[in-house]
Amino acid sequence: MEPSRDDFVIALRSAFFKKGTQQRFSLLSLILFSIILLTLSSLNFKVINYFKIGINELIYRGSVIASFPEKLIKSKYNNLQDHRKLFTNYKDNLAELDSIKSSNLSKEIIEFENIRLKQMIDDYVVADNEIFAKVLIDKKSPFLKSIIINKGSRNNIKLGMAVLDGIYFIGKVVELNYSTSRILLISDINSKIPVSLEPIGVQAIMSGNGEMNGIIEYVNQSNLESENTNLTVFTSGMGGLFKSGIPIGRIIKEKNASNITSNVNFYKDLSQLKYVKILSYKKENLNLEIENSQDRNVEILQETNNQNYLFKEQQKISNEIRVKLEQDKILLNKELTKLKKEISKLKKDVQNQIIEDEKTLIDADELKFLKLNFLYSKKCTKTFYNKLYKVGSAKYKKCILNKGKN
Amino acid sequence: MSATSKQKIYLFLYKHLPIILLFISVLNEADLNYLDFKYFSFNFSYILIFYYSLKRSQSLGYVFVFIAGLFNDVVVGTPMGLSSLMFLILCVAASYLRNITLRPSLIKDCIFFLITILIINSLLFVALNFIFGYELDFFDQVINIIFTFLLYFLFSNIFNFFEKYLMSNSNVR
Repeated sequence: MEPSRDDFVIALRSAFFKKGTQQRFSLLSLILFSIILLTLSSLNFKVINYFKIGINELIYRGSVIASFPEKLIKSKYNNLQDHRKLFTNYKDNLAELDSIKSSNLSKEIIEFENIRLKQMIDDYVVADNEIFAKVLIDKKSPFLKSIIINKGSRNNIKLGMAVLDGIYFIGKVVELNYSTSRILLISDINSKIPVSLEPIGVQAIMSGNGEMNGIIEYVNQSNLESENTNLTVFTSGMGGLFKSGIPIGRIIKEKNASNITSNVNFYKDLSQLKYVKILSYKKENLNLEIENSQDRNVEILQETNNQNYLFKEQQKISNEIRVKLEQDKILLNKELTKLKKEISKLKKDVQNQIIEDEKTLIDADELKFLKLNFLYSKKCTKTFYNKLYKVGSAKYKKCILNKGKN
Repeated sequence: MSATSKQKIYLFLYKHLPIILLFISVLNEADLNYLDFKYFSFNFSYILIFYYSLKRSQSLGYVFVFIAGLFNDVVVGTPMGLSSLMFLILCVAASYLRNITLRPSLIKDCIFFLITILIINSLLFVALNFIFGYELDFFDQVINIIFTFLLYFLFSNIFNFFEKYLMSNSNVR
Protein backbone atom coordinates (compact mmCIF):
# COMPACT_ATOMS: atom_id res chain seq x y z
CA MET A 1 0.00 0.00 0.00
CA GLU A 2 2.79 2.39 1.01
CA PRO A 3 4.84 2.16 -2.21
CA SER A 4 1.75 2.71 -4.44
CA ARG A 5 0.92 5.93 -2.55
CA ASP A 6 4.50 7.04 -2.98
CA ASP A 7 4.23 6.36 -6.71
CA PHE A 8 1.05 8.42 -6.93
CA VAL A 9 2.63 11.33 -5.10
CA ILE A 10 5.79 11.11 -7.17
CA ALA A 11 3.82 10.98 -10.44
CA LEU A 12 1.64 13.85 -9.40
CA ARG A 13 4.58 15.92 -8.21
CA SER A 14 6.36 15.18 -11.43
CA ALA A 15 3.30 16.22 -13.42
CA PHE A 16 3.02 19.51 -11.60
CA PHE A 17 6.64 20.50 -11.10
CA LYS A 18 8.69 18.84 -13.84
CA LYS A 19 9.74 21.14 -16.60
CA GLY A 20 10.53 19.58 -19.94
CA THR A 21 13.25 20.64 -22.32
CA GLN A 22 12.76 24.27 -23.35
CA GLN A 23 9.93 24.63 -20.81
CA ARG A 24 10.37 27.83 -18.83
CA PHE A 25 7.45 27.41 -16.47
CA SER A 26 6.10 24.42 -14.62
CA LEU A 27 2.45 23.48 -14.97
CA LEU A 28 1.71 24.48 -11.39
CA SER A 29 3.00 28.01 -11.88
CA LEU A 30 0.95 28.42 -15.06
CA ILE A 31 -2.16 27.05 -13.35
CA LEU A 32 -1.67 29.47 -10.48
CA PHE A 33 -1.15 32.29 -12.94
CA SER A 34 -4.36 31.48 -14.82
CA ILE A 35 -6.31 31.29 -11.53
CA ILE A 36 -4.94 34.72 -10.54
CA LEU A 37 -5.86 36.06 -13.99
CA LEU A 38 -9.34 34.61 -13.71
CA THR A 39 -9.89 36.07 -10.24
CA LEU A 40 -8.63 39.51 -11.19
CA SER A 41 -10.69 39.60 -14.36
CA SER A 42 -13.82 38.61 -12.41
CA LEU A 43 -13.08 41.46 -9.98
CA ASN A 44 -12.84 43.90 -12.93
CA PHE A 45 -9.24 44.73 -12.13
CA LYS A 46 -8.28 47.71 -14.28
CA VAL A 47 -4.93 46.41 -15.55
CA ILE A 48 -6.49 43.10 -16.49
CA ASN A 49 -9.26 44.90 -18.35
CA TYR A 50 -6.72 46.86 -20.41
CA PHE A 51 -4.77 43.67 -20.99
CA LYS A 52 -7.99 41.98 -22.09
CA ILE A 53 -8.90 44.79 -24.46
CA GLY A 54 -5.39 44.65 -25.96
CA ILE A 55 -5.61 40.90 -26.44
CA ASN A 56 -9.11 41.23 -27.88
CA GLU A 57 -7.90 43.67 -30.53
CA LEU A 58 -4.99 41.42 -31.41
CA ILE A 59 -6.93 38.17 -31.50
CA TYR A 60 -9.99 39.40 -33.34
CA ARG A 61 -7.77 40.57 -36.18
CA GLY A 62 -5.69 37.40 -35.98
CA SER A 63 -8.80 35.29 -36.00
CA VAL A 64 -9.99 36.99 -39.18
CA ILE A 65 -6.72 36.14 -40.89
CA ALA A 66 -6.76 32.55 -39.59
CA SER A 67 -10.34 32.12 -40.75
CA PHE A 68 -9.71 33.53 -44.21
CA PRO A 69 -9.22 30.23 -46.13
CA GLU A 70 -12.20 28.64 -44.47
CA LYS A 71 -14.32 31.74 -45.05
CA LEU A 72 -13.33 31.71 -48.70
CA ILE A 73 -14.40 28.09 -49.13
CA LYS A 74 -17.58 28.75 -47.22
CA SER A 75 -18.47 31.80 -49.30
CA LYS A 76 -17.78 29.91 -52.55
CA TYR A 77 -20.01 27.09 -51.38
CA ASN A 78 -22.72 29.56 -50.42
CA ASN A 79 -22.41 31.24 -53.82
CA LEU A 80 -22.88 27.92 -55.54
CA GLN A 81 -25.90 27.17 -53.40
CA ASP A 82 -27.31 30.62 -54.17
CA HIS A 83 -26.90 30.11 -57.90
CA ARG A 84 -28.62 26.77 -57.67
CA LYS A 85 -31.57 28.32 -55.89
CA LEU A 86 -31.61 31.48 -58.01
CA PHE A 87 -34.43 30.63 -60.39
CA THR A 88 -36.72 29.25 -57.70
CA ASN A 89 -36.01 32.27 -55.55
CA TYR A 90 -36.70 34.58 -58.49
CA LYS A 91 -40.14 33.07 -59.04
CA ASP A 92 -40.95 33.17 -55.35
CA ASN A 93 -39.73 36.73 -55.14
CA LEU A 94 -41.92 37.83 -58.01
CA ALA A 95 -45.00 36.39 -56.36
CA GLU A 96 -43.99 37.90 -53.06
CA LEU A 97 -43.30 41.27 -54.66
CA ASP A 98 -46.79 41.41 -56.07
CA SER A 99 -48.39 40.74 -52.73
CA ILE A 100 -46.04 43.16 -50.97
CA LYS A 101 -46.77 45.93 -53.47
CA SER A 102 -50.47 45.56 -52.88
CA SER A 103 -50.14 45.68 -49.13
CA ASN A 104 -47.52 48.41 -49.11
CA LEU A 105 -49.92 51.27 -49.51
CA SER A 106 -52.10 50.37 -46.57
CA LYS A 107 -48.95 49.77 -44.55
CA GLU A 108 -47.67 53.25 -45.25
CA ILE A 109 -50.95 54.76 -44.14
CA ILE A 110 -50.84 52.75 -40.94
CA GLU A 111 -47.23 53.78 -40.36
CA PHE A 112 -48.03 57.46 -40.68
CA GLU A 113 -51.01 57.04 -38.43
CA ASN A 114 -48.84 55.21 -35.91
CA ILE A 115 -46.23 57.97 -35.96
CA ARG A 116 -48.90 60.61 -35.47
CA LEU A 117 -50.47 58.74 -32.57
CA LYS A 118 -47.12 58.11 -30.94
CA GLN A 119 -46.25 61.75 -31.28
CA MET A 120 -49.50 62.56 -29.54
CA ILE A 121 -48.55 60.44 -26.52
CA ASP A 122 -44.90 61.56 -26.64
CA ASP A 123 -43.59 58.06 -27.33
CA TYR A 124 -42.15 58.55 -30.77
CA VAL A 125 -38.53 57.42 -30.86
CA VAL A 126 -36.15 57.92 -33.73
CA ALA A 127 -32.79 56.40 -34.60
CA ASP A 128 -30.12 58.51 -32.96
CA ASN A 129 -26.86 56.97 -34.04
CA GLU A 130 -26.68 54.56 -36.96
CA ILE A 131 -23.48 52.67 -37.69
CA PHE A 132 -22.87 49.92 -40.20
CA ALA A 133 -20.32 47.26 -39.37
CA LYS A 134 -18.84 44.13 -40.85
CA VAL A 135 -18.95 40.84 -38.99
CA LEU A 136 -15.38 39.80 -38.24
CA ILE A 137 -15.95 36.59 -36.32
CA ASP A 138 -19.02 34.44 -36.10
CA LYS A 139 -18.07 31.82 -33.56
CA LYS A 140 -20.65 29.12 -33.35
CA SER A 141 -19.88 28.27 -29.78
CA PRO A 142 -22.42 26.23 -27.83
CA PHE A 143 -21.62 28.40 -24.80
CA LEU A 144 -22.08 31.87 -26.19
CA LYS A 145 -23.92 32.85 -29.36
CA SER A 146 -22.12 36.01 -30.27
CA ILE A 147 -20.38 37.77 -33.14
CA ILE A 148 -17.51 40.21 -33.32
CA ILE A 149 -17.83 43.34 -35.46
CA ASN A 150 -15.19 45.72 -36.77
CA LYS A 151 -16.50 48.83 -35.03
CA GLY A 152 -15.80 49.84 -31.47
CA SER A 153 -15.72 52.75 -29.07
CA ARG A 154 -13.82 54.90 -31.57
CA ASN A 155 -16.88 54.67 -33.85
CA ASN A 156 -19.19 55.90 -31.07
CA ILE A 157 -20.56 52.45 -30.34
CA LYS A 158 -21.86 52.09 -26.82
CA LEU A 159 -22.82 49.14 -24.66
CA GLY A 160 -26.43 48.06 -25.05
CA MET A 161 -26.95 49.45 -28.54
CA ALA A 162 -29.41 47.51 -30.69
CA VAL A 163 -28.07 45.49 -33.62
CA LEU A 164 -30.17 44.98 -36.72
CA ASP A 165 -29.74 43.02 -39.90
CA GLY A 166 -31.86 44.90 -42.40
CA ILE A 167 -34.94 45.81 -40.43
CA TYR A 168 -34.80 42.77 -38.17
CA PHE A 169 -33.50 42.80 -34.62
CA ILE A 170 -30.64 40.34 -34.04
CA GLY A 171 -28.90 41.30 -30.81
CA LYS A 172 -27.20 43.93 -28.69
CA VAL A 173 -23.69 45.16 -27.93
CA VAL A 174 -22.33 43.49 -24.79
CA GLU A 175 -18.60 44.04 -25.01
CA LEU A 176 -16.80 47.12 -26.23
CA ASN A 177 -13.22 47.47 -27.38
CA TYR A 178 -11.48 50.32 -29.14
CA SER A 179 -12.05 49.11 -32.68
CA THR A 180 -14.13 45.96 -32.20
CA SER A 181 -17.24 44.97 -30.29
CA ARG A 182 -19.04 41.80 -29.32
CA ILE A 183 -22.68 41.37 -30.14
CA LEU A 184 -24.77 38.99 -28.06
CA LEU A 185 -27.20 37.38 -30.46
CA ILE A 186 -30.84 36.86 -29.55
CA SER A 187 -30.36 33.12 -29.95
CA ASP A 188 -28.08 33.03 -26.90
CA ILE A 189 -29.64 31.73 -23.71
CA ASN A 190 -28.24 34.70 -21.78
CA SER A 191 -30.07 37.13 -24.05
CA LYS A 192 -33.26 38.50 -22.48
CA ILE A 193 -35.24 40.86 -24.70
CA PRO A 194 -38.60 42.44 -23.75
CA VAL A 195 -40.96 41.58 -26.57
CA SER A 196 -44.55 42.07 -27.57
CA LEU A 197 -46.60 39.34 -29.26
CA GLU A 198 -48.88 40.75 -31.90
CA PRO A 199 -51.76 40.87 -32.75
CA ILE A 200 -52.83 39.77 -29.25
CA GLY A 201 -50.57 42.38 -27.62
CA VAL A 202 -49.09 40.12 -24.94
CA GLN A 203 -45.89 41.36 -23.27
CA ALA A 204 -43.15 38.81 -22.60
CA ILE A 205 -39.43 38.24 -22.33
CA MET A 206 -37.67 36.40 -25.13
CA SER A 207 -34.59 34.36 -24.46
CA GLY A 208 -32.52 32.33 -26.91
CA ASN A 209 -32.42 28.57 -26.71
CA GLY A 210 -28.74 28.36 -27.55
CA GLU A 211 -29.50 27.19 -31.06
CA MET A 212 -31.42 28.91 -33.84
CA ASN A 213 -34.68 29.72 -32.05
CA GLY A 214 -35.96 31.82 -29.21
CA ILE A 215 -38.12 30.97 -26.21
CA ILE A 216 -40.96 33.09 -24.88
CA GLU A 217 -40.71 33.41 -21.11
CA TYR A 218 -42.80 34.93 -18.32
CA VAL A 219 -46.07 34.50 -20.17
CA ASN A 220 -49.00 32.21 -19.62
CA GLN A 221 -48.39 29.44 -22.16
CA SER A 222 -52.06 28.50 -22.23
CA ASN A 223 -52.82 31.92 -23.75
CA LEU A 224 -50.45 31.19 -26.60
CA GLU A 225 -51.68 27.62 -27.03
CA SER A 226 -55.26 28.73 -27.36
CA GLU A 227 -54.32 31.41 -29.87
CA ASN A 228 -54.84 30.14 -33.38
CA THR A 229 -53.51 33.10 -35.32
CA ASN A 230 -49.89 33.45 -36.36
CA LEU A 231 -48.18 35.51 -33.72
CA THR A 232 -45.40 37.90 -34.66
CA VAL A 233 -42.73 38.89 -32.17
CA PHE A 234 -41.65 42.52 -31.97
CA THR A 235 -39.49 44.40 -29.51
CA SER A 236 -41.80 45.98 -26.97
CA GLY A 237 -39.58 48.96 -26.13
CA MET A 238 -39.94 48.24 -22.41
CA GLY A 239 -36.88 49.42 -20.53
CA GLY A 240 -36.35 52.20 -23.02
CA LEU A 241 -33.22 50.70 -24.60
CA PHE A 242 -34.71 49.72 -27.92
CA LYS A 243 -37.45 51.16 -30.04
CA SER A 244 -40.71 49.30 -29.92
CA GLY A 245 -41.95 47.47 -32.98
CA ILE A 246 -38.70 46.11 -34.41
CA PRO A 247 -39.59 42.73 -35.92
CA ILE A 248 -37.81 39.67 -34.54
CA GLY A 249 -39.62 36.55 -35.70
CA ARG A 250 -42.75 34.44 -35.69
CA ILE A 251 -44.10 32.06 -33.09
CA ILE A 252 -44.02 28.43 -34.13
CA LYS A 253 -45.83 25.80 -32.11
CA GLU A 254 -44.22 22.43 -31.57
CA LYS A 255 -46.16 19.50 -30.26
CA ASN A 256 -44.27 17.43 -27.76
CA ALA A 257 -45.53 14.26 -26.15
CA SER A 258 -46.94 16.08 -23.15
CA ASN A 259 -47.56 19.68 -24.20
CA ILE A 260 -47.27 22.31 -26.90
CA THR A 261 -44.25 24.60 -26.76
CA SER A 262 -44.06 27.99 -28.45
CA ASN A 263 -40.71 28.86 -29.97
CA VAL A 264 -39.72 31.94 -31.90
CA ASN A 265 -38.56 31.37 -35.44
CA PHE A 266 -36.26 34.32 -36.21
CA TYR A 267 -36.70 36.20 -39.46
CA LYS A 268 -32.96 36.26 -40.01
CA ASP A 269 -30.61 33.32 -40.18
CA LEU A 270 -28.17 34.28 -37.44
CA SER A 271 -25.43 32.03 -38.83
CA GLN A 272 -25.34 34.01 -42.10
CA LEU A 273 -24.58 37.49 -40.84
CA LYS A 274 -22.17 39.58 -42.89
CA TYR A 275 -23.00 43.21 -42.28
CA VAL A 276 -25.03 44.59 -39.42
CA LYS A 277 -26.46 47.93 -38.38
CA ILE A 278 -25.89 49.22 -34.87
CA LEU A 279 -28.43 51.69 -33.60
CA SER A 280 -29.26 53.69 -30.55
CA TYR A 281 -32.61 55.35 -30.10
CA LYS A 282 -33.79 58.55 -28.53
CA LYS A 283 -37.17 60.12 -28.00
CA GLU A 284 -37.97 62.74 -30.53
CA ASN A 285 -37.37 66.10 -28.87
CA LEU A 286 -40.91 67.31 -28.59
CA ASN A 287 -40.34 69.79 -25.71
CA LEU A 288 -38.99 72.49 -27.96
CA GLU A 289 -41.77 71.91 -30.37
CA ILE A 290 -44.28 72.07 -27.55
CA GLU A 291 -42.85 75.47 -26.48
CA ASN A 292 -42.89 76.62 -30.06
CA SER A 293 -46.38 75.31 -30.50
CA GLN A 294 -47.45 77.12 -27.30
CA ASP A 295 -46.07 80.41 -28.65
CA ARG A 296 -47.72 79.69 -31.92
CA ASN A 297 -50.97 78.96 -30.11
CA VAL A 298 -50.81 82.35 -28.35
CA GLU A 299 -50.14 84.02 -31.67
CA ILE A 300 -53.00 82.18 -33.26
CA LEU A 301 -55.27 83.14 -30.35
CA GLN A 302 -54.35 86.80 -30.63
CA GLU A 303 -54.79 86.66 -34.35
CA THR A 304 -58.17 85.04 -33.90
CA ASN A 305 -59.21 87.67 -31.35
CA ASN A 306 -58.20 90.42 -33.72
CA GLN A 307 -60.03 88.77 -36.51
CA ASN A 308 -63.10 88.36 -34.28
CA TYR A 309 -63.02 92.05 -33.35
CA LEU A 310 -62.65 93.03 -36.98
CA PHE A 311 -65.38 90.70 -37.92
CA LYS A 312 -67.73 92.10 -35.28
CA GLU A 313 -66.98 95.66 -36.39
CA GLN A 314 -67.54 94.64 -39.95
CA GLN A 315 -70.76 92.95 -38.94
CA LYS A 316 -71.91 96.08 -37.14
CA ILE A 317 -71.19 98.22 -40.16
CA SER A 318 -72.87 95.70 -42.39
CA ASN A 319 -75.96 95.76 -40.15
CA GLU A 320 -76.11 99.54 -40.26
CA ILE A 321 -75.74 99.50 -44.01
CA ARG A 322 -78.38 96.84 -44.21
CA VAL A 323 -80.87 98.85 -42.11
CA LYS A 324 -80.19 101.94 -44.15
CA LEU A 325 -80.60 100.00 -47.34
CA GLU A 326 -83.87 98.56 -46.12
CA GLN A 327 -85.17 102.03 -45.28
CA ASP A 328 -84.07 103.24 -48.70
CA LYS A 329 -85.73 100.26 -50.21
CA ILE A 330 -89.03 101.06 -48.49
CA LEU A 331 -88.80 104.66 -49.62
CA LEU A 332 -87.93 103.65 -53.10
CA ASN A 333 -90.77 101.16 -53.16
CA LYS A 334 -93.15 103.89 -52.13
CA GLU A 335 -91.68 106.16 -54.77
CA LEU A 336 -91.96 103.40 -57.28
CA THR A 337 -95.61 102.79 -56.47
CA LYS A 338 -96.28 106.47 -56.73
CA LEU A 339 -94.51 106.70 -60.03
CA LYS A 340 -96.27 103.64 -61.34
CA LYS A 341 -99.57 105.26 -60.45
CA GLU A 342 -98.53 108.43 -62.21
CA ILE A 343 -97.43 106.47 -65.24
CA SER A 344 -100.72 104.64 -65.39
CA LYS A 345 -102.57 107.94 -65.06
CA LEU A 346 -100.47 109.48 -67.74
CA LYS A 347 -101.00 106.49 -69.95
CA LYS A 348 -104.74 106.88 -69.54
CA ASP A 349 -104.48 110.58 -70.37
CA VAL A 350 -102.44 109.81 -73.44
CA GLN A 351 -104.94 107.25 -74.57
CA ASN A 352 -107.84 109.66 -74.06
CA GLN A 353 -105.96 112.31 -75.96
CA ILE A 354 -105.31 109.88 -78.79
CA ILE A 355 -108.94 108.90 -78.89
CA GLU A 356 -109.95 112.55 -78.90
CA ASP A 357 -107.43 113.29 -81.64
CA GLU A 358 -108.71 110.41 -83.69
CA LYS A 359 -112.23 111.65 -83.17
CA THR A 360 -111.19 115.14 -84.22
CA LEU A 361 -109.45 113.71 -87.29
CA ILE A 362 -112.54 111.65 -88.20
CA ASP A 363 -114.72 114.69 -87.77
CA ALA A 364 -112.53 116.68 -90.21
CA ASP A 365 -112.66 113.90 -92.83
CA GLU A 366 -116.42 113.65 -92.41
CA LEU A 367 -116.78 117.39 -92.86
CA LYS A 368 -114.68 117.38 -96.03
CA PHE A 369 -116.77 114.44 -97.32
CA LEU A 370 -120.03 116.23 -96.59
CA LYS A 371 -118.81 119.33 -98.38
CA LEU A 372 -117.67 117.37 -101.40
CA ASN A 373 -120.85 115.23 -101.25
CA PHE A 374 -122.93 118.32 -101.49
CA LEU A 375 -121.07 119.34 -104.66
CA TYR A 376 -120.36 116.06 -106.34
CA SER A 377 -123.12 113.66 -105.18
CA LYS A 378 -124.72 113.61 -108.58
CA LYS A 379 -121.52 112.52 -110.26
CA CYS A 380 -121.24 109.48 -108.04
CA THR A 381 -124.82 108.41 -107.12
CA LYS A 382 -126.21 105.29 -108.80
CA THR A 383 -129.33 105.83 -110.92
CA PHE A 384 -131.32 103.91 -113.49
CA TYR A 385 -129.24 105.05 -116.34
CA ASN A 386 -125.71 104.97 -114.91
CA LYS A 387 -123.72 102.37 -113.23
CA LEU A 388 -122.19 104.43 -110.42
CA TYR A 389 -122.03 103.81 -106.74
CA LYS A 390 -124.63 103.24 -104.10
CA VAL A 391 -124.87 106.04 -101.54
CA GLY A 392 -123.09 105.23 -98.29
CA SER A 393 -120.76 102.61 -99.79
CA ALA A 394 -116.94 102.85 -99.59
CA LYS A 395 -116.63 103.28 -103.35
CA TYR A 396 -119.12 106.12 -103.22
CA LYS A 397 -117.10 107.81 -100.50
CA LYS A 398 -113.92 107.36 -102.52
CA CYS A 399 -115.61 108.80 -105.58
CA ILE A 400 -116.83 111.88 -103.64
CA LEU A 401 -113.36 112.42 -102.16
CA ASN A 402 -111.92 112.24 -105.70
CA LYS A 403 -114.32 114.98 -106.66
CA GLY A 404 -116.56 112.85 -108.84
CA LYS A 405 -113.65 111.07 -110.64
CA ASN A 406 -113.64 107.37 -110.52
CA MET B 1 13.97 23.51 -53.52
CA SER B 2 17.04 21.76 -52.16
CA ALA B 3 16.90 18.63 -50.03
CA THR B 4 18.20 20.51 -46.98
CA SER B 5 15.53 23.18 -47.09
CA LYS B 6 12.85 20.51 -47.56
CA GLN B 7 14.23 18.68 -44.57
CA LYS B 8 14.13 21.90 -42.58
CA ILE B 9 10.49 22.42 -43.47
CA TYR B 10 9.62 18.85 -42.49
CA LEU B 11 11.47 19.24 -39.24
CA PHE B 12 9.76 22.51 -38.52
CA LEU B 13 6.36 20.99 -39.27
CA TYR B 14 7.12 17.95 -37.17
CA LYS B 15 8.19 20.12 -34.31
CA HIS B 16 5.49 22.76 -34.45
CA LEU B 17 2.51 21.15 -36.16
CA PRO B 18 0.64 20.41 -32.91
CA ILE B 19 0.92 23.96 -31.67
CA ILE B 20 -0.01 25.34 -35.13
CA LEU B 21 -3.04 23.07 -35.17
CA LEU B 22 -3.95 24.17 -31.66
CA PHE B 23 -3.82 27.85 -32.57
CA ILE B 24 -5.76 27.28 -35.78
CA SER B 25 -8.34 25.38 -33.76
CA VAL B 26 -8.84 28.17 -31.24
CA LEU B 27 -8.58 31.06 -33.69
CA ASN B 28 -10.65 29.64 -36.50
CA GLU B 29 -14.07 31.18 -36.86
CA ALA B 30 -16.08 28.02 -37.58
CA ASP B 31 -13.52 25.79 -36.00
CA LEU B 32 -13.43 22.05 -35.52
CA ASN B 33 -14.80 22.40 -32.00
CA TYR B 34 -18.19 23.76 -32.78
CA LEU B 35 -19.53 22.54 -36.10
CA ASP B 36 -22.92 23.84 -36.94
CA PHE B 37 -24.84 20.64 -36.31
CA LYS B 38 -27.67 20.34 -33.85
CA TYR B 39 -26.58 17.30 -31.88
CA PHE B 40 -22.91 17.21 -32.73
CA SER B 41 -20.00 19.10 -31.28
CA PHE B 42 -16.64 18.12 -29.97
CA ASN B 43 -13.60 19.81 -28.54
CA PHE B 44 -10.67 19.30 -30.85
CA SER B 45 -8.37 21.35 -28.63
CA TYR B 46 -8.85 18.91 -25.74
CA ILE B 47 -8.03 15.92 -27.94
CA LEU B 48 -4.96 17.62 -29.38
CA ILE B 49 -3.62 18.82 -26.04
CA PHE B 50 -4.19 15.50 -24.31
CA TYR B 51 -2.71 13.43 -27.12
CA TYR B 52 0.43 15.50 -27.56
CA SER B 53 0.96 16.04 -23.84
CA LEU B 54 0.80 12.31 -23.47
CA LYS B 55 2.77 11.15 -26.49
CA ARG B 56 5.15 13.99 -27.29
CA SER B 57 5.12 16.46 -24.44
CA GLN B 58 8.00 18.52 -25.80
CA SER B 59 5.96 19.50 -28.88
CA LEU B 60 3.42 21.50 -26.89
CA GLY B 61 5.03 24.11 -24.70
CA TYR B 62 2.92 24.75 -21.63
CA VAL B 63 3.23 28.48 -22.17
CA PHE B 64 1.80 28.07 -25.66
CA VAL B 65 -1.06 26.02 -24.25
CA PHE B 66 -1.67 28.78 -21.74
CA ILE B 67 -1.68 31.44 -24.48
CA ALA B 68 -3.93 29.28 -26.67
CA GLY B 69 -6.33 29.12 -23.74
CA LEU B 70 -6.34 32.90 -23.48
CA PHE B 71 -7.04 33.17 -27.20
CA ASN B 72 -9.85 30.67 -26.88
CA ASP B 73 -11.38 32.71 -24.06
CA VAL B 74 -11.27 35.86 -26.12
CA VAL B 75 -12.76 34.24 -29.23
CA VAL B 76 -15.46 32.26 -27.43
CA GLY B 77 -16.24 35.00 -24.94
CA THR B 78 -15.64 33.13 -21.71
CA PRO B 79 -13.87 34.85 -18.77
CA MET B 80 -10.19 35.43 -19.28
CA GLY B 81 -8.01 32.56 -18.05
CA LEU B 82 -10.72 29.93 -17.77
CA SER B 83 -9.84 27.96 -20.90
CA SER B 84 -6.15 28.27 -20.02
CA LEU B 85 -6.88 26.68 -16.67
CA MET B 86 -8.82 23.85 -18.30
CA PHE B 87 -6.12 23.24 -20.89
CA LEU B 88 -3.44 23.17 -18.21
CA ILE B 89 -5.45 20.75 -16.05
CA LEU B 90 -5.66 18.55 -19.12
CA CYS B 91 -1.87 18.79 -19.45
CA VAL B 92 -1.48 17.83 -15.78
CA ALA B 93 -3.71 14.79 -16.28
CA ALA B 94 -1.83 13.74 -19.40
CA SER B 95 1.49 14.26 -17.68
CA TYR B 96 0.34 12.20 -14.70
CA LEU B 97 -0.84 9.40 -16.97
CA ARG B 98 2.49 9.46 -18.79
CA ASN B 99 4.33 9.16 -15.53
CA ILE B 100 2.34 6.19 -14.28
CA THR B 101 2.10 4.32 -17.59
CA LEU B 102 4.50 1.51 -18.24
CA ARG B 103 2.73 -0.14 -21.15
CA PRO B 104 0.71 2.36 -23.23
CA SER B 105 -2.73 1.32 -24.37
CA LEU B 106 -5.28 3.33 -26.37
CA ILE B 107 -8.24 2.07 -24.32
CA LYS B 108 -6.64 3.13 -21.04
CA ASP B 109 -5.74 6.48 -22.51
CA CYS B 110 -9.30 6.96 -23.69
CA ILE B 111 -10.82 6.07 -20.33
CA PHE B 112 -8.43 8.41 -18.56
CA PHE B 113 -9.23 11.08 -21.14
CA LEU B 114 -12.96 10.60 -20.53
CA ILE B 115 -12.53 11.01 -16.77
CA THR B 116 -10.39 14.09 -17.31
CA ILE B 117 -12.80 15.83 -19.68
CA LEU B 118 -15.69 15.00 -17.36
CA ILE B 119 -13.84 16.72 -14.53
CA ILE B 120 -12.81 19.64 -16.74
CA ASN B 121 -16.28 20.22 -18.11
CA SER B 122 -17.77 19.94 -14.64
CA LEU B 123 -15.34 22.57 -13.44
CA LEU B 124 -16.13 24.69 -16.47
CA PHE B 125 -19.86 24.34 -15.88
CA VAL B 126 -19.55 25.20 -12.18
CA ALA B 127 -17.29 28.17 -12.87
CA LEU B 128 -19.40 29.61 -15.67
CA ASN B 129 -22.78 28.91 -14.14
CA PHE B 130 -22.25 29.60 -10.45
CA ILE B 131 -19.36 32.06 -10.38
CA PHE B 132 -19.67 34.07 -13.58
CA GLY B 133 -23.45 33.81 -14.06
CA TYR B 134 -23.44 32.34 -17.54
CA GLU B 135 -26.37 30.13 -18.49
CA LEU B 136 -25.24 26.90 -20.12
CA ASP B 137 -27.18 24.16 -21.76
CA PHE B 138 -26.32 21.01 -19.89
CA PHE B 139 -27.38 18.85 -22.80
CA ASP B 140 -24.91 20.57 -25.14
CA GLN B 141 -22.13 19.96 -22.65
CA VAL B 142 -22.94 16.27 -22.43
CA ILE B 143 -23.02 15.92 -26.20
CA ASN B 144 -19.72 17.74 -26.45
CA ILE B 145 -18.14 15.39 -23.89
CA ILE B 146 -19.47 12.24 -25.56
CA PHE B 147 -18.28 13.16 -29.03
CA THR B 148 -14.94 14.43 -27.77
CA PHE B 149 -14.44 11.09 -26.07
CA LEU B 150 -15.55 9.05 -29.09
CA LEU B 151 -13.49 11.03 -31.54
CA TYR B 152 -10.39 10.63 -29.44
CA PHE B 153 -10.05 7.14 -30.96
CA LEU B 154 -10.18 8.52 -34.47
CA PHE B 155 -7.87 11.47 -33.93
CA SER B 156 -5.47 9.40 -31.92
CA ASN B 157 -5.05 7.05 -34.87
CA ILE B 158 -4.74 9.94 -37.32
CA PHE B 159 -2.09 11.60 -35.19
CA ASN B 160 -0.27 8.28 -34.84
CA PHE B 161 -0.28 7.92 -38.59
CA PHE B 162 1.12 11.41 -39.13
CA GLU B 163 3.74 10.93 -36.47
CA LYS B 164 4.96 7.78 -38.12
CA TYR B 165 4.85 9.28 -41.59
CA LEU B 166 6.75 12.40 -40.57
CA MET B 167 9.15 10.46 -38.45
CA SER B 168 9.98 8.16 -41.30
CA ASN B 169 10.37 11.11 -43.66
CA SER B 170 12.66 12.94 -41.32
CA ASN B 171 14.70 9.80 -40.77
CA VAL B 172 15.08 9.20 -44.50
CA ARG B 173 16.26 12.67 -45.28
